Amino acid sequence: MKKVVVSFLGKDGPGVVHAVSSLLTGLECNINEVSQTILHSEFAAIVIAEMPDGCTIEALQESLVKGLAERQIDLSVTARLYDGRSWSAEDPQSFVVSVDGPDQRGLVAAISGILGEHNVNIANLKAIVPDDQPDGHALIVFEVIVPGAVELSALRNALNAKAEELSVRVSVQHSDIFEAVHRVQPV
Amino acid sequence: MLSDREVLSTLAMLRNEHLDVRTVTLGVSLFDCASHDFDVFADRVRTKIRHYSQKLVSTCNEVGDKYGIPIVNKRISVSPMGVVCASYTPEQMVKACKILDEAAQEAGVDFLGGFGALVEKGMTKGDRALIDSLPEALAVTQRVCSSINVASSRSGINMDAVALMGQRIKDIAARTADKDGLGCAKLVVFANIPQDVPFMAGAYLGVGEPEAVINVGVSGPGVVKKAIDRAVQSGSAKSLGDIAEVIKRTAFKVTRVGEIIGTEVAERLGLPFGVADLSLAPTPEVGDSVGEIFEAIGLSSIGAPGSTAVLAMLNDAVKKGGAFASSHVGGLSGAFIPVSEDSSIAAAAASGALTMEKLEAMTSVCSVGLDMVAVPGDTSAATLSGIIADEMAIGMINSKTTAVRIIPVPDKGVGDTVSFGGLLGEAQIMAVPGGNAESFINLGGRIPAPIHSLKN
Repeated sequence: MKKVVVSFLGKDGPGVVHAVSSLLTGLECNINEVSQTILHSEFAAIVIAEMPDGCTIEALQESLVKGLAERQIDLSVTARLYDGRSWSAEDPQSFVVSVDGPDQRGLVAAISGILGEHNVNIANLKAIVPDDQPDGHALIVFEVIVPGAVELSALRNALNAKAEELSVRVSVQHSDIFEAVHRVQPV
Repeated sequence: MLSDREVLSTLAMLRNEHLDVRTVTLGVSLFDCASHDFDVFADRVRTKIRHYSQKLVSTCNEVGDKYGIPIVNKRISVSPMGVVCASYTPEQMVKACKILDEAAQEAGVDFLGGFGALVEKGMTKGDRALIDSLPEALAVTQRVCSSINVASSRSGINMDAVALMGQRIKDIAARTADKDGLGCAKLVVFANIPQDVPFMAGAYLGVGEPEAVINVGVSGPGVVKKAIDRAVQSGSAKSLGDIAEVIKRTAFKVTRVGEIIGTEVAERLGLPFGVADLSLAPTPEVGDSVGEIFEAIGLSSIGAPGSTAVLAMLNDAVKKGGAFASSHVGGLSGAFIPVSEDSSIAAAAASGALTMEKLEAMTSVCSVGLDMVAVPGDTSAATLSGIIADEMAIGMINSKTTAVRIIPVPDKGVGDTVSFGGLLGEAQIMAVPGGNAESFINLGGRIPAPIHSLKN
């Protein structure tokens, strides 16, 4: 039994999740884990599943594309083998990097560039348009994993320097503070 | 994964609503520093405070950075020096106060509290020497604060001490007349003083406290005010019950911030975490005011009819929200109404909307008392003692902490403005109630403890 990772991207609507999951079931794949999100009208899902030994990646992808077309579901599909290897860091800490200021091209690239240089991995990224802010104001929230070896003050200085260059504000805060302030933790 | 609302609301609290940790206060017991030999005492105090405080400021800054929450003040509280220095003369007390001032400066803290005494039932020689040293001690030091507990619900009111404090407050004002009586801003007269207050000027480390401990004072009147504004504007708060709920939830959030930061500072310093004091403590900055909350709840200003009711609700909701947010709640925990330290309260006092009488009424439901009230320089010692006695009675009978921090500003009268600078702010001088309390104060003795002190 091999594991595959399959991504689906396209128009959202009723029946999309059922189409994806029933097609995989029909191909004798067993879904292990799914993460799914919607951005405006667009649906995206990433699925890790077990694939029967007789099947190949190419055959799986072809069958999924064909099946979605038959059901008139507008999704593109990418399938690849899943090897279980993942980025890991010693003594990882979760931080939230938030950037806000005038929207401009290259904002995400500039900030993520600094993060990458410091070996900081982005676990979740969101651009939010705050209700109370004028048009053209961007708020970008990076949830990141900072390895224990990373010098926090160096990361902060690099981000501040870049933020100044771009005329935006940046803050780096341990994610515990967001959870502590808003959540009652389960016991 | 965090939700948009969680991120947005936390950032808004920090960037627009003045959320901060007002103080991390390191308590250090100095009982083992006592010695009849002053040099031995001084050496022990320096060594001990240095030992515990050397990493206080840097650790607070690191933890504040980690969470992106500023820890505005780092402070130290010590054992009541009236006990530690029980054998000293007033002159030696002044020298002891200077040692503390130097230790505070070396540690990089802005205030050190505990140069005080507990005299609710009677006064030892040491207590008396300390109180007599106050005019000189508070004039020649910058960072040392004093608190004198003259009453409690268990013991009643020590009216001899009340009379003495009225006189000493006059003396301190005279001795610091060149700075508008600034020395009085560093002295608080208390009823039922808590042993673990992290806020100045009342901070000290009580006798039942550990060797060293970290206590935290959280604040956030700006956060509460903005939360009320939002709830009222959006229509989600339709009644006072809804507003109380908003205050409660906001106090929860603010206290969680103090809890997480306090516990981490304590852990990094290898000290126990004592309490979070969840008080709404204003600063003179606009948007960081308790007085503005009264306006957000529909009063023309603090001092208008209805103010005592609003304050009662505010104080209670803050306690309810905060109590669930912290493993250990202590100190004063409520809402402060320091006149000069809050621009909105100072403005209400200046316009006449807030009078001394109304302020006194409000102190029966707030967490402290008559705080940072500037009165005319010619106010008599007996009148000051009378004001203190009234405030102590409110605390004694209601089993709550009350306090008086009053400044008879030399050579100034009602309507004159006085500026103490920094966090102490500025205010117009308020009129004191008329009448004469001299014969009453001269009677002295003790007002017996109330009947509920027999609860056992």
